[in-house]
Amino acid sequence: MIDPGLLASLLASSIRAGTPLLYTTLGEIITERSGVLNLGLEGIMITGAFTGFAVSLLTGNPWLGVLFGGIAGMVLAFVHAFFSITLKANQSITGLMLVLLGLGITGFLGRNYIGEVAFYIDPVKIPVLSDIPYIGEILFSHDPLAYIAVLLAAILWFILFRTRYGLEIIAVGEKPEAADSMGVNVDRVRYIATLLGGFLVGVGGAYLSLAYAKLWTEGMTAGRGWICLALVIFSGWMPQRAVLGAYLFGGLDVLSFKLQAAGVGVSYHLMKMVPYVVTIVVLLFSVIRKRVAFGAPAALGVPYIRGKKE
Amino acid sequence: MRGLITPVLSIAASLVVVGILLAAIGINPVEAYIAMFTNSFTSKFGLAELCVKTTPLILTGLAVAIPLRAGLWNIGAEGQLYMGAFAASVIALYSNLPGYAMLPAMFLTAAVFGMAWAAIPAVLKARFDLNEILSTLLLNYVAIHWVEYMVYGPMRGREVYNFPYTDLFPDAATLPRFFGTRFHLGFFIAILIAIIIYYVIKKTHFGFSLRIVGANPRAAEYAGINRQRMIVYSMMLGGMFAGIAGMIEVSGIQLRLRPLISTGYGYAGIPVALLASGNPLLVMVSATLFGFLYVGGSVLQTAYSVPVAIVYVFHSLIVLFIIAGQSLRRD
Repeated sequence: MIDPGLLASLLASSIRAGTPLLYTTLGEIITERSGVLNLGLEGIMITGAFTGFAVSLLTGNPWLGVLFGGIAGMVLAFVHAFFSITLKANQSITGLMLVLLGLGITGFLGRNYIGEVAFYIDPVKIPVLSDIPYIGEILFSHDPLAYIAVLLAAILWFILFRTRYGLEIIAVGEKPEAADSMGVNVDRVRYIATLLGGFLVGVGGAYLSLAYAKLWTEGMTAGRGWICLALVIFSGWMPQRAVLGAYLFGGLDVLSFKLQAAGVGVSYHLMKMVPYVVTIVVLLFSVIRKRVAFGAPAALGVPYIRGKKE
Repeated sequence: MRGLITPVLSIAASLVVVGILLAAIGINPVEAYIAMFTNSFTSKFGLAELCVKTTPLILTGLAVAIPLRAGLWNIGAEGQLYMGAFAASVIALYSNLPGYAMLPAMFLTAAVFGMAWAAIPAVLKARFDLNEILSTLLLNYVAIHWVEYMVYGPMRGREVYNFPYTDLFPDAATLPRFFGTRFHLGFFIAILIAIIIYYVIKKTHFGFSLRIVGANPRAAEYAGINRQRMIVYSMMLGGMFAGIAGMIEVSGIQLRLRPLISTGYGYAGIPVALLASGNPLLVMVSATLFGFLYVGGSVLQTAYSVPVAIVYVFHSLIVLFIIAGQSLRRD
């Protein structure tokens, strides 16, 4: 019999660990829906984490940190957008270089911030509801950003599937030539989707340093960016499904940590391999079951050149 | 000569951007660059370190360049290097082979392990069209954690206190060093391999098929070349070189297995291969350039306490500028 108190705290931590993944996954869903593949999540997240931390430390306002974490993410996403949309370069390689760039710059500039204490975003207990036994701890005792993430998933779902803007993003990701002939500016839509996505990925990083870990260390994203790439596929490019996926992977993260703390005989290092192996398996399933069934945008990763057929 | 314009401009532009970053933290970039240069080229030890850093970069450069010839991105050289290092270490520590057989056996097992590790994404690509960039990259993390698991657990040495190291290799399992520096035999091995593979690509049927598949997949089909097979072979060949790089690192430099045997050599192989446009002889040149950046990075670290992460900034900027240059010239 599992102790319900332990289970409740495990589920609550899963949500906390899943929130940065959720922001990042939502950001990448928007970007990929427009047909742009941004593999640079790991680099953008770490840049968001560092910028957020530094801004919070310097201004004393963690919310300003989150904002600037998002803006920093947007700047890196702009580099990606410029290369993949304007220069029509290989998106995979550009994205990969963003990872090196982000890890490099933050390692370089961030060294003096290690061990510093910034201002953080603290949990807010929702009155009455947070007093419900167990449920209150699991659902109603988080920081505001955790609630905003869920709200955001709903908003993005609405925008993508119920508004004209969403329709344009999806059209550009599926059949850019058709969207173009309908008068949609393909490059513009892709730029907006990539920048917006970058902002959310940056916020995911800032959440990591300002609300989850509450510190800054070099390379603190520790592979979360790669996991989110798999989460995008796992959720079938649907914002509403990303919520579940993010909390699930957040739970995996927490579980490996708790098992280690409890001295269970599973090697910490072997546990760390699990998310990567799971990611490869998820990818494999998605290609075996044909991408269409999984809902990948048809033009994902393909630069659009007007008047040129594939 | 026109082919040189993009690489040279890319390097210059990267130096400028990194210079701005250095200036931002209060370091005179011109002074720093001069220090990098003099420390690498004006002393016996500087030159030895340059060769030490260039050696794995030649091999990982080839590990990226060969599959790239067939149109494949091998981002997994880092993991293949770790697997090669792991395999070589197992032979060095547990095989009890006679001295003369030790190094050849380590070399071969490292080559086979690197190859096998690269075969996984290669087969998944050929059979299921699974994006090789993602699969090779994810496998890096698996390989790195595998080595960590081994040195924290089953392979941890008896004489290492609590450090996550294996014991030191026996003498027969280490590469000879020269001139009282860390300069070792692996340098010549890497150069020999680069020259051999240059002729293999240029003169053999395999090399011909490789070039055709990369340049024009449809023509390759008409010529009766099995594209799937070339995907697997080229990736495995690349993995082999990275595996050998791993063996050379543990038996020439580290003399034991431990975490972090590579400071991103596998990832640096990408710009090395791109700068050389996939030509094995030019890989030696571009590997030397990146070797210089590595040595320069550690000079900056000791002289100005600049974090080594600056090397990654160099790598990514050079690749981005090359890609931008290529795109602009294409238009």
